[in-house]
Amino acid sequence: MPSHPLRVAVVCSSNQNRSMEAHNILSKRGFDVRSFGTGTHVKLPGPAPDKPNVYDFKITYEQMYSDLVRKDKELYTQNGILHMLDRNKRIKTRPERFQNCKDQFDLVITCEERVYDQVLEDLNSREQETFQPVHVINVDIQDNHEEATLGAFLICELCQCIQHTEDMENEIDELLQEFEDKSGRPFLHTVCFY
Amino acid sequence: MAAGSGEDTAIDMTTSEKVVDLLNQAALIATESKLTVLKQVQELIINKDPSLLDNFLDEIIAFQTDKSMEVRKFVIGFIEEACKRDGELLLKLIANLNMLLKDESVNVVKKVILTLTQLYKVALQWLVRGKVVSEMQEACWDLVTQMKEDVLAMLDSDNDGVRTHAIKFTESLIITLSPRTPDSDTPKKQEGDISLDKIPRDHSYIRCDALCEEGKSALDKLLKFMVHPAISSINLTTALGSLATLARQRPMFMSEVVQAYETLHANLPPTLAKSQVSSVRKNLKLHLVAVLRHPSSVEFQGQICTLLLDLGMNQNEITRCTPSPQVQRKRAR
Repeated sequence: MPSHPLRVAVVCSSNQNRSMEAHNILSKRGFDVRSFGTGTHVKLPGPAPDKPNVYDFKITYEQMYSDLVRKDKELYTQNGILHMLDRNKRIKTRPERFQNCKDQFDLVITCEERVYDQVLEDLNSREQETFQPVHVINVDIQDNHEEATLGAFLICELCQCIQHTEDMENEIDELLQEFEDKSGRPFLHTVCFY
Repeated sequence: MAAGSGEDTAIDMTTSEKVVDLLNQAALIATESKLTVLKQVQELIINKDPSLLDNFLDEIIAFQTDKSMEVRKFVIGFIEEACKRDGELLLKLIANLNMLLKDESVNVVKKVILTLTQLYKVALQWLVRGKVVSEMQEACWDLVTQMKEDVLAMLDSDNDGVRTHAIKFTESLIITLSPRTPDSDTPKKQEGDISLDKIPRDHSYIRCDALCEEGKSALDKLLKFMVHPAISSINLTTALGSLATLARQRPMFMSEVVQAYETLHANLPPTLAKSQVSSVRKNLKLHLVAVLRHPSSVEFQGQICTLLLDLGMNQNEITRCTPSPQVQRKRAR
């Protein structure tokens, strides 16, 4: 087993659905986990596909909740957004942007390729200092409630397997191959350095 | 310890007594609390009152044989901080670090490699600063040089993670052992780092030309490592990133770097799985763009563009990443 509990970050676009579902499960399983979004703003579905609700990352889940209750309680109850925000505010106060976090992780798991690209761009643009490695893995998850739940279980299983390796860096390549075969999903994987 | 004014002495005594007390505790308790206590000692004798560092060095270093790998890793971190604080301590501590480089735990070995990446520069800086180099300093530098060779040899380690760390060490070594030039893109945090251009040509002990050759030989090793047909996806990714860093910080090596990228693109290792090929190609694209953005890429733009088009980037995107001719001219002056 690694010397310390893995420091994991799960990242999606708005830090609402996919990353928060995984954050929830991983923290219940005892992981040292944080979650982030990479978008410039937090976007939640609105009354029409071209009218999303857009918030700044500074706004709390609680404030978003109140805002949507005020706008259309029935709509946002029925489409599950209020339920999701209610879950989120029990986990942490507000969404966080990955690019603004300077803490170090051992493992960063992204939920779609665009987010993976943004994480790599950000990590590669930082000045290297300690050369401490961080592994970045992309697991494609569609942005809806059902897929987020399935994806969170897959991420959790993956993290458990990685946590239980004798020597993570020596075994991660092989482990990911096995996981790909088992789950039928391709993973992107790279290593960056702090 | 020299007695200062009344008040200073009182503070010194307190800190010193506190350290003694913490060290006594550390000897008796379980790993996790031991680490907390040792970190407090480190804070007290490195940051709060460095005059105590010498007094308690042996007591801390004694933990390098602790059965917990975390405690041994702590000692390595302590050695790094102590030597950064006072280069003279290398004389004493480099041998301890050398012992830990041969530790049975790969995690300890990897931590030593990270530390040596930093301390190699500290040691060189420390030697260059003095006009006269003592026999003890020579012996210390000999050991640093031997450890450098040992880490370079770890590019062939059986362990993937050790190899990854060895690649990063090699990257940093090549940067130190080559001159910074006006077109070098140096990260702010590394601006004060030593490199070949800062070593006086007439230094009594350090031979610039010999170090330059050692740097080139390290680059050769890295390039050879990259074309190994069974290289792992992660090692390949790490090496691709190291080459981009080298090209940007030492544009004199840009030709070798672009050549290596071309060779790799044409001959991806057959051992890579399909998704690993996607990951490597994505990385190659990212690093090629980083090299292209450097004003000194002008000679290589044709080659880089061909590679990027092959990797699926369109001409408009490529043009956006190409520095304008004005920037190039400005840099060239």
